[in-house]
Amino acid sequence: MAQHNLNTVIGFEFFRTVRKKRFWIATLAIPVALAIVFALVFISNQSTSTAAENQKNAHLSFTYTDESGLVTAALAATYGGRKAADGAQAIADVKAGTLDAYFAYPPDPATQPVRIYAADKGIFGNGTYNAVATQVLAAAAQHKIDSPQLTALTQGNVTINALTYKDGQVSGGISAVIPPMLFLLIFYVSIILLANQMLSSTLEEKENRVTEMILTTLNPTTLIIGKVISLLMVALVQMLTFALPVVIGYLFFRSNLNLPDLDLSHLILEPGPMIVGVLLLLGGFILFTGTLVAIGAVVPTVKEAGAFFAPLMILIFIPFYIVSLIVSDPHALIVQVFTYFPFSAPVTAMLRNSFGSLSTVESAIVIAELFILGFIALRLAVHLFRYGSIEYSKKLSITSTFRRRNHA
Amino acid sequence: MLGEPLVQIKGFRMDFGNLTVIRDLSFDVHAGETFGFLGSNGSGKTTTLRALLGIYQPTAGTLHIRGKVFEPRDGARLGYLPEERGLYKKESVLDVMVYFGRLKGLSRADATTWSRTYLDRVSLADKASTRLDKLSGGQQQKVQLGVTIMNDPELLILDEPTQGFDPVNRRLLMDIIEDQKRAGATVIMVTHQMEEVERLCDRVILLKDGAAEAYGTVEDVQDLYGGTTIRVEHTGPLPASDLYDITLAEHNYAEIAPRAGTDEADILRELVGRGVGLRSFTTARTSLEEIFLRVYGDQNEPAGA
Repeated sequence: MAQHNLNTVIGFEFFRTVRKKRFWIATLAIPVALAIVFALVFISNQSTSTAAENQKNAHLSFTYTDESGLVTAALAATYGGRKAADGAQAIADVKAGTLDAYFAYPPDPATQPVRIYAADKGIFGNGTYNAVATQVLAAAAQHKIDSPQLTALTQGNVTINALTYKDGQVSGGISAVIPPMLFLLIFYVSIILLANQMLSSTLEEKENRVTEMILTTLNPTTLIIGKVISLLMVALVQMLTFALPVVIGYLFFRSNLNLPDLDLSHLILEPGPMIVGVLLLLGGFILFTGTLVAIGAVVPTVKEAGAFFAPLMILIFIPFYIVSLIVSDPHALIVQVFTYFPFSAPVTAMLRNSFGSLSTVESAIVIAELFILGFIALRLAVHLFRYGSIEYSKKLSITSTFRRRNHA
Repeated sequence: MLGEPLVQIKGFRMDFGNLTVIRDLSFDVHAGETFGFLGSNGSGKTTTLRALLGIYQPTAGTLHIRGKVFEPRDGARLGYLPEERGLYKKESVLDVMVYFGRLKGLSRADATTWSRTYLDRVSLADKASTRLDKLSGGQQQKVQLGVTIMNDPELLILDEPTQGFDPVNRRLLMDIIEDQKRAGATVIMVTHQMEEVERLCDRVILLKDGAAEAYGTVEDVQDLYGGTTIRVEHTGPLPASDLYDITLAEHNYAEIAPRAGTDEADILRELVGRGVGLRSFTTARTSLEEIFLRVYGDQNEPAGA
């Protein structure tokens, strides 16, 4: 029967949320915005690359003088150029409108500016002159090197495989940092998406005066666990909805959107940090869930809950203000305080875990702390809901709920 | 013949801080009976019900249902209509009814069928898909009563059930309660409508200053407070007398309560002997309304739950 009622609560809470238009408007707003941004990037990239290509390959009617000796007449001709006999005359021709452009290459183009005299074609059109002048010079330099290999090296087209060692073992580097960092991302997304709903989940029973009907029908623990599970399911739906356009964009339009080509096979899943990451995520989630539900049981309205909500949210973001210290000096006093203070602990510990600076002992202490305090918070939430939510329009005195219970 | 006690309250005391709402309350409610729980506003009726249902923790005493402290056991056949009414207002009528039906142990199909039948009976069949907050207060009350009586509760606790109903719907509600009673439910009813108590209740308790002022069958309580009222239509002034108290005096109409040891014949002789012209002289049991006014008439509304 308890399982039946748990399923009933989960189903009711989940479906009444996802059936609402408001939910889908709010949820789809982000992927729609992402899709619009992607579309704009796509269109922009298309036009930019086309314009750049056009500029690069533009055949201008230009003349040039070259004091560096790099540009050959044959090369210039491929871009529509010819050598000018007299620079002053070329400038006069440009001014008269009989010549598009005149490029004056200095003796040392690496340190001295190339001067361009050209007919004005607007802010964007004028870029063509720069592109052609630069391209002519680059092609001339490559021609001088006369080696595709050396040309590639000068352009920085180099692949590097680095091995670094920690405690005598090859360390994973950034490839080992990313996987445990994903737990931090999941923690942030889930708390940001769910915090308000957790806070208001029991407030709804109070505001609708439905508490007495519920308390005489259902075990409050079943109700609260059911609500938390349904919220997780709702968050999962939201995360999938958010992720869908990103996945589609990555799989089918990666090059058009200039998305980096991630090679996931390079990521290193180290068992220790991954297990610690999962436990920190779970412990942190339980602690925040229990705390938010307990706050909801204490305060009479969503508005009043805001006073408690803001500090909690600050506490999960504040470790990022000292992220450089967390990475560079994990034993600094402030980092230690943030590591063990319950509401900043999940984020700080997950960061340190990702960067490999959270020792086994520290991990054990923080995980134990989060789970113990999380379960205490959940028990407190159930207690406050059971004995406190009947105070429909008043802020609850927590001590009074325990005093009443002790009398029994 | 009274059945087994289904509800037993012994030595119940309830303090809120320094305020004692219930001093020392004991009573039983037997299986199958309809029990009236009476008292002025703030006399502690709702507090007692909440303590009985485990919502409040008593300061002292025991409050048992079937010999145990009530726990919201999953699927318990309890129907409770609280004084503070409310359901999930943003949801449809049928969704809310089916939800509670499922929590009370019905299958989805049974809960749906039951809900539609009930909505049809209370003339809300066309509102099944309507959000609760789009219904009138009285319509919401009907839905809440439906949720309360789902799955044939063995114990039905109704805290001011007719509050907010017009006379037609009040009659409908009384019929529904009578149906539940006929189906074997034990009913505890808090109400200020004394005619409802006289119509439905087997026994009553009157709560005053946190303790029982009177407790027993309706007749027992009526007897305790004089039992009989004499209604007189008269001409000329109605004289005072040691034989009776005048409880109501209007133009040419009065209600008289005989004092202890006096019967109707003594009073009739007294009135005739003192020259009062009588157009009618009838006797009736003292109504609960009169008793209520007599017991609580001198009370301002006390603070407390």
